[in-house]
Amino acid sequence: MPDVSMAVLASPSEQVTVRAGAGAVAQPRRPFTWHQTRFLSWLVPALLVVGWELLARLGKIPPYILPAPSKVVATGIALIQDGTLLPDMGISLLRAAAGFAIGGFIGFAFGTAVGFSRIAGVLLDRTILMLRAIPFLAVLPLVIVWLGIGESAKIFLVAFGVIFPIYMNTVLGIRQVDPKLVELGRVTGLSNWNLVRRIILPGALPSILNGVRYALATAWLALVVAETIAASSGIGFLAMDAREFLRTDVIVLVILIYAVIGVAADSLARLMERRLLAWHPNYATEVQR
Amino acid sequence: MTQQQNVSACGPAVVVHGLKRTYGLRTVIRDLDLRIERGEFVVLLGESGCGKTTLLRALAGLDPIDGGRIEGPSRPAVVFQEHRLLPWDSLWRNVALGLEQNDNRTRASAALAEVGLGDRLDDWPRNLSGGQAQRVALARALVQEPRLLLLDEPFAALDALTRINMQSLVKQLVAEHQPGVLLVTHDVDEAIVLGDRAMVMRNGAIACEFTVSAAARSHRSHPDAIGLRDQLLSELGVGEGQMAA
Repeated sequence: MPDVSMAVLASPSEQVTVRAGAGAVAQPRRPFTWHQTRFLSWLVPALLVVGWELLARLGKIPPYILPAPSKVVATGIALIQDGTLLPDMGISLLRAAAGFAIGGFIGFAFGTAVGFSRIAGVLLDRTILMLRAIPFLAVLPLVIVWLGIGESAKIFLVAFGVIFPIYMNTVLGIRQVDPKLVELGRVTGLSNWNLVRRIILPGALPSILNGVRYALATAWLALVVAETIAASSGIGFLAMDAREFLRTDVIVLVILIYAVIGVAADSLARLMERRLLAWHPNYATEVQR
Repeated sequence: MTQQQNVSACGPAVVVHGLKRTYGLRTVIRDLDLRIERGEFVVLLGESGCGKTTLLRALAGLDPIDGGRIEGPSRPAVVFQEHRLLPWDSLWRNVALGLEQNDNRTRASAALAEVGLGDRLDDWPRNLSGGQAQRVALARALVQEPRLLLLDEPFAALDALTRINMQSLVKQLVAEHQPGVLLVTHDVDEAIVLGDRAMVMRNGAIACEFTVSAAARSHRSHPDAIGLRDQLLSELGVGEGQMAA
């Protein structure tokens, strides 16, 4: 205890003041423990769901406007059991993954080229920024004309939305690498390949991963739109099909699935950040801090 | 100024003939000659902007030269004022950065042990104090067994006590590894404690040069040390009179 040693050093008349002062500084009052905070943060959402359930059960909300949460869950279980939900979800995830992989690869490749090479930057950057100015959902009619309403149209739209966040953050990350570290790499005699591998890419990684998180959100949004407008499978199709029959329970279920997968994808990206950026003080896990 | 004294039998660490370096119209280094033997510790003093860091960067191969010749290793080791450790690599991987063999971890481990951090191989740089980080940077330079070691004010950012410890560590390690050393510094006392030779640079040329006697090196209060300190200070334009005023 620091205040004990201080008290020993201090003269008797000062002891009281030193103890009081040290105690006040060392133990600031925390309003809640971690568990209490966690409990409280879940309280409002839980109350909302309970209220929603009650109002639906009492008939205050008609089922065709908003079905009860229990009804949505029951519909979900029924759809899984009759074998329609999971294949559609699989198709949607596959589309998102394919589009993300293609768009991510293109964005990273161009971002790396522009980040490294001044000539590539001069040649490509303006074009890419002009394309980026297009809200990616605006190209949807053109995509349908080009590619119809098949799988390639949806994957194209997802990829188109993913390219730019990955591109921008890769370029930014590479340009932000500390030039003093690059200089050190040259003094140490690293080959160009090793300079990239040991210094430039690790230095750019925080920014690139930030782009990945942002791109995941964009990919998901692109998928929802693509599936809602033109599809014959996937969970977006499920929702549109349900609309025809006023099955609001299915529609709400699909909305919730979109939300859950979106949150899961973001958590995955954050986990990647924590793993890959363990060296970075901002991303260190709470235990290490 | 090309001296022919042979400190070590292994030949010079670096020889510079008529080096010239300009930035635009301004000549920063003019017609500079320098010879550093292996195992010799040369300290370069000078006011800010006199060209001493430019000289070091030219020797390190970081900047192109505009005239003259540098005969030395293609890859001297450099320790900068900042530690420049890669924050994403463990300490041993930082030390092994320039190594290409397979026993990298063993060699890095030995180098870290030499600077007193042999038990921190897998630690992150962010967990180090300033002095510890600079010791890792020193290990990273020495693990390459350089013929020429360039030190660009490596102690300037350290607190006074850490600096004294670092100075004796560098002295000891240089004695063991026997590279030729060029240390750039502002600190006259540091020059006397560490240097075999102390040179003062002015207007892009070496204005004068002193041999540091063994007695001056080991005793701060020895008359040689006091005399040399006064000489160096007056060459740097900080005379006794100005000090008192």
